[in-house]
Amino acid sequence: MEKIRFFDVCCGVGNSAVKPRPGVAELLADMDRFGVERALVYHNCLNTLGAESANRELPRMLREEDPEHRLTGALCILPSQCPELPPPDRFFAAMKENLCSAITLDPFSHRYVPCRLTLGAYLDVAEKRRIPVLLNAFAGKWNDLYAFLREFPRLQCIFHGGDKWGNDRYIRPLLEAYPGARVELAGYWVPEGIADLARAYGPERILWGSGFPQYNQGSSMLQLKQSGLDEAAIALIAGKNFENMLEAAQC
Amino acid sequence: MLKQSIWEKAGSIPAKFWNEGRADFPVYDMHGHMGSHYGIYMARGEAPEMVAHLKRIGVRHLCFSHHEALFGTEGNALAVEMCRRFPDTLRMYVGINPNFPEKIKRDLAMFDKWQPYAVGLKFLADYHKVPVTDPRYEYALKFASERKLPVLNHTWGTSPYAGGKVMLDLVTKWSEPKFFLGHCIFGEWDYAERCVKESAGNVWLELTAVPGERGRIEDLVRRVGSKRILYGTDLPWFDEYQAVGGVVSADITEDDMRNILYRNAESILGKDW
Repeated sequence: MEKIRFFDVCCGVGNSAVKPRPGVAELLADMDRFGVERALVYHNCLNTLGAESANRELPRMLREEDPEHRLTGALCILPSQCPELPPPDRFFAAMKENLCSAITLDPFSHRYVPCRLTLGAYLDVAEKRRIPVLLNAFAGKWNDLYAFLREFPRLQCIFHGGDKWGNDRYIRPLLEAYPGARVELAGYWVPEGIADLARAYGPERILWGSGFPQYNQGSSMLQLKQSGLDEAAIALIAGKNFENMLEAAQC
Repeated sequence: MLKQSIWEKAGSIPAKFWNEGRADFPVYDMHGHMGSHYGIYMARGEAPEMVAHLKRIGVRHLCFSHHEALFGTEGNALAVEMCRRFPDTLRMYVGINPNFPEKIKRDLAMFDKWQPYAVGLKFLADYHKVPVTDPRYEYALKFASERKLPVLNHTWGTSPYAGGKVMLDLVTKWSEPKFFLGHCIFGEWDYAERCVKESAGNVWLELTAVPGERGRIEDLVRRVGSKRILYGTDLPWFDEYQAVGGVVSADITEDDMRNILYRNAESILGKDW
């Protein structure tokens, strides 16, 4: 069997405001320990640090602490009406130099309504460029996520599906309704549930994410490896699906 | 260039589960359930699907309590029926609902007839809204004391019904039952440690919902030692491979892994049960 290439799409790095949290070095050490090649990261302190500062701090951490470029970041957007971030053309043009290949948002901490009125200027461009939009700020806020996706039904986006308690009643309607939506499964512990989702919606719709640093990577790696799916499907979920998203994106 | 991962160390326990899906020893899952659930879609909630999942990873016995016994008022007899259908794999805890004392007496009167399947009792105080120190549990606790039975408690940090303080009160008062603290009083790790250290040697921490939490199993092993930790999953809530993955990917020794996954259960209940 060809070695599975893991690309973790759910990792936070950097201290939060209330306690020290693992940083880039700790993540890279865990990736070595478990055999994970690459990871998509956001800043652990995005909620209170704010978008502007986190968008500076995360690229700095990646430049200084990840010389092999195994990590790629997610930059945070805000409502376009308040000119805190560069306008969309400049914002997206700078993603590569910022070592980022996805965007994210945290409307609940950053205090705005996540809708077309506030975010249309950025997300319409993201949709056109097929840039992955990381929606893990919506974890557990299913009503908000449903409303958001009604406003942006064609985004290439990744929503968080895990919560320890099984979330299939929330997850499945979204996979059915929105072809551009993928579910990331950190904390999705449903027995053989990964295989069930893959059979129902296709393995292309599922991305492996560990939830570092809350979770270690090993537990969900074994869950996926022994999910009962064939090698090709496991490889897609483990990393190939997100690599395909990045290849299709115009950053 | 990636370094050698834990999955690639030939002959190791992680490598066995990674490559073969099972190890060369049995696993005992000491915390399971069965049946449909009001808040979760469970595709593998019934006995045939659960047993198939358990056999893949080499679980010898799952000790479970039926959802209908815990979230309703009946269900212990149904659990026995399922054990009889899968006698090699399934064992049960008699669900105790303190709000229905007559049903407790009725079901415990059946305990001997439910052998060899009934191995202990299950308390779910958080859901029944009765603290484990309430007199309504005394009949069941006396029953467990006389027989030195396992009592699996759902516990959770800060809960007024089954949190650290009340669990410590319980386990220091009753020295005969074998208390399994389900979820290790999740979040109140100091109390979990105290329950083990301040009791009469009759407390074990049961891991359901803990494996996968980064660094937590390492911390619990440091606090109480791996001989005081039992493996469990809440199956059909959680996947066996996810939970075993959490144990074998923890930075602990293989001796610790063996203690958690099977040796401790065998030291409590024996090898033939």
